[in-house]
Amino acid sequence: MAGSNEVNLNESKRVVPLNTWVLISNFKLAYNILRRADGTFNRELAEFLDRKVPANTIPVDGVFSFDHVDRATGLLNRIYQPAPANEAQWGIVDLQKPLSTTEIVPVIIFFHGGSFTHSSANSAIYDTFCRRLAGTCKAAVVSVNYRRSPEHRYPSAYDDGWAALKWVKSRTWLQSGKDSKVHVYLAGDSSGGNIAHHVAARAAEEEVEVLGNILLHPMFGGLRRTESEKRLDGKYFVTIQDRDWYWRAYLPEGEDRDHPACNPFGPRGKSLEGLNFPKSLVVVAGLDLVQDWQLAYVEGLKESRQVVKLLYLEQATIGFYFLPNNTHFYCLMEEISSFVNPNC
Amino acid sequence: MSPYDSATSSGGGSGSSASSSAKPSEIDGLLAGAGYKVRSSDLRHVAQRLERLETAMVNSPVEISHLASDAVHYNPSDIASWVDSLLSELHQTASMPSDLPDLPDLMVAPAINHTVVSDAAWTDQDAPQQLNQFTVVTAMEEDSGIRLVHMLMTCAESVQRGELAFAGSLIEDMQALLTRVNTSCGIGKVADYFIDALRRRIFSPQSVCFGGSGSASPYENEVLYHHFYEACPYLKFAHFTANQAILEAFDGHDCVHVIDFNLMHGLQWPALIQALALRPGGPPLLRLTGIGPPSPDGRDSLREVGLRLAELARSVNVRFAFRGVAALRLEDVKPWMLQVGPKEAVAVNSIMQLHRLLGSESTRNSPVEVVLGWIRNLNPKIMTVIEQEANHNQPGFMDRFTEALYYYSTMFDSLEACTLQPEKALAEIYIQREICNVVCCEGLARVERHEPLGKWRARLGQAGFRPLQLGSNAFKQASMLLTLFSAEGYCVEEKEGCLTLGWHSRPLIAASAWQAVPDANSPLGIVNHHSNHNAL
Repeated sequence: MAGSNEVNLNESKRVVPLNTWVLISNFKLAYNILRRADGTFNRELAEFLDRKVPANTIPVDGVFSFDHVDRATGLLNRIYQPAPANEAQWGIVDLQKPLSTTEIVPVIIFFHGGSFTHSSANSAIYDTFCRRLAGTCKAAVVSVNYRRSPEHRYPSAYDDGWAALKWVKSRTWLQSGKDSKVHVYLAGDSSGGNIAHHVAARAAEEEVEVLGNILLHPMFGGLRRTESEKRLDGKYFVTIQDRDWYWRAYLPEGEDRDHPACNPFGPRGKSLEGLNFPKSLVVVAGLDLVQDWQLAYVEGLKESRQVVKLLYLEQATIGFYFLPNNTHFYCLMEEISSFVNPNC
Repeated sequence: MSPYDSATSSGGGSGSSASSSAKPSEIDGLLAGAGYKVRSSDLRHVAQRLERLETAMVNSPVEISHLASDAVHYNPSDIASWVDSLLSELHQTASMPSDLPDLPDLMVAPAINHTVVSDAAWTDQDAPQQLNQFTVVTAMEEDSGIRLVHMLMTCAESVQRGELAFAGSLIEDMQALLTRVNTSCGIGKVADYFIDALRRRIFSPQSVCFGGSGSASPYENEVLYHHFYEACPYLKFAHFTANQAILEAFDGHDCVHVIDFNLMHGLQWPALIQALALRPGGPPLLRLTGIGPPSPDGRDSLREVGLRLAELARSVNVRFAFRGVAALRLEDVKPWMLQVGPKEAVAVNSIMQLHRLLGSESTRNSPVEVVLGWIRNLNPKIMTVIEQEANHNQPGFMDRFTEALYYYSTMFDSLEACTLQPEKALAEIYIQREICNVVCCEGLARVERHEPLGKWRARLGQAGFRPLQLGSNAFKQASMLLTLFSAEGYCVEEKEGCLTLGWHSRPLIAASAWQAVPDANSPLGIVNHHSNHNAL
């Protein structure tokens, strides 16, 4: 066992910069400590270990942020916006005027990752990522603090995502363009990507307009073990075992991984054909063991005659977008920016 | 201009381990943006430690639950310390496989070859670009440090004026600024703690003052105190100096009684017991009364300490008796609880306790007067008083804050010399609690009401005490203690018969000794009723 472990450690070290390796390995080890074999989770220790940052109404690097509690759910949303050009307006949060009356300013609703269990909107890694997203895409970003498992199982995260979508759609101060509406995109990494899909599916059914989905190595799965899972198990920070644990913690008790939440185009899934599902940008990291499920998802969208673009980053590991020290990061930002600003 | 410039400039240079122009103390800016403080030069070492931890966890999966439930996790931002503390936990609880060497630079055999291939194995993109960013970060850092201090003062001023919303927004700005500063040492570290304390004062004072050290478990307080004792010489100096004075005061007496106002683990007393054992003419009968908070879990921790000390005394043939007095506050102790005998020579030992009595608003029969009153009635041969040499009891918040900022900056500077972990980390938490009490609390909850030597002189003089010279012996021995235990920078000074220990000419702790002035109206020995000494 020890021998194969060394090999695993060395492989991941070869493909990511040193500080990225330290960051993701640190998470991996902390998460190993937090997950208990009986399926419970050490939430107290997790909150203590999680590095959090406050919002900042004074712009830093051209982006400012503030927190807003949705009164209906009691959950926090953190909103990021590009800083106003006029310095005199810095530090003032305007909840009356729309983002613009002439231009279209995309609003990206972002669901952070963490396999449904970890992290929050105010986790440092996600706050930093959302800031970069807002700055690069010149978009408003709303990062949603959804309820996490195992304390809150399916469908809590989807319900919270839906509530966030309705909330965002109804904010006049997030409107833009000559048609004065909120131009919404859904985005998320890992479990956040999974949430984005399911919220978009509901939006399509209930005819709420979502302009696009951005799924960053989304978390999907299924009962059978795919080739990529077997080949990459334990090699790049992630193991099949931990994936199984998170699904057991999220899915209703007694359910298996072919549940449509986990496997939307699997034996219990359904086609989205005929629905007004948003166009999707699906980003797959070539060293992510879940990739076969993500590729199956892309196929499922195609079979439902939905518009999907696959961005396959061959040498990327999970979490490549946390630190801007690799080409995959810049590639991703450019793709997302084009995706939400199609006319630029 | 690339749209990613804003992305790369946040936090400055990345962790390019290949770049040798990185200053050793420079923290990795990208990891800082993720909430972690790791020096660029430490990255490789930290990575190795992470690998060791992973291997250790793989080899002893049963112990992982112990890491979650029993281990104490310190500052998770400092990945290096966090990983090390987990590794030491695992070493203690599991039997480590013997093939893991102790030297941190080696790893399990096959892996070594890969890392010797070194920098090629780590893909560092855009290395040349980052070199420029390093110099920019340095200048920014210094500037940011100064800005932080200014912002701290502005924030404290707003708090004093009651402008909490503005103060709150300054907190956010300071926290953002902190990410550009090295917070593992220097002004960055101190600012980090003070920003935290201000934040608590503004947003959640109740959790500090009524959930804080006042009601933190005595066990926790003892652990922190012990690590503070180990990490820097202040407490050792206090014990050493007080013991010397007590030893001299007990000369010629056969029955002696030491009253310790804060027993903790009784760290001060083994040295005294041993010194008494070696006394020419033989040791006296030693009684020790230790005051401390009651143990919440049914343990009698005072008694446990007493038993250990008794065992030591027995081993050096000193007749010894111990009594524990459990009290939440010093003002709750009544002299009859101490059971002082008529023929005993009494020494009262107060290490950083008297200032806790200064919290009451009333001037008539204030707790400090009451306590000093009954101490005087005991007519002790000596009262040793050790106090923080600082003016943290001023009524104006801004004055207190400014004084505390300089005092604790100096103290943190002096801690830099300590390399022991986790002593240093826990010593910092010990200091942090003091800072929080000074900055966040008011009224009775604020117990850290440090006053400088000059004020204590006046107060004790008024209460009927006169100073005893600590003597040149004490000075010489304190200086010697420093050379044995500590780094350059600490200095002992003598000030009108009292000794202070400080860092680079700023005294941080003052030790003095006192005796009751004989009162013509009352007989020597015990007075059973409380007389009013205010007339003196």
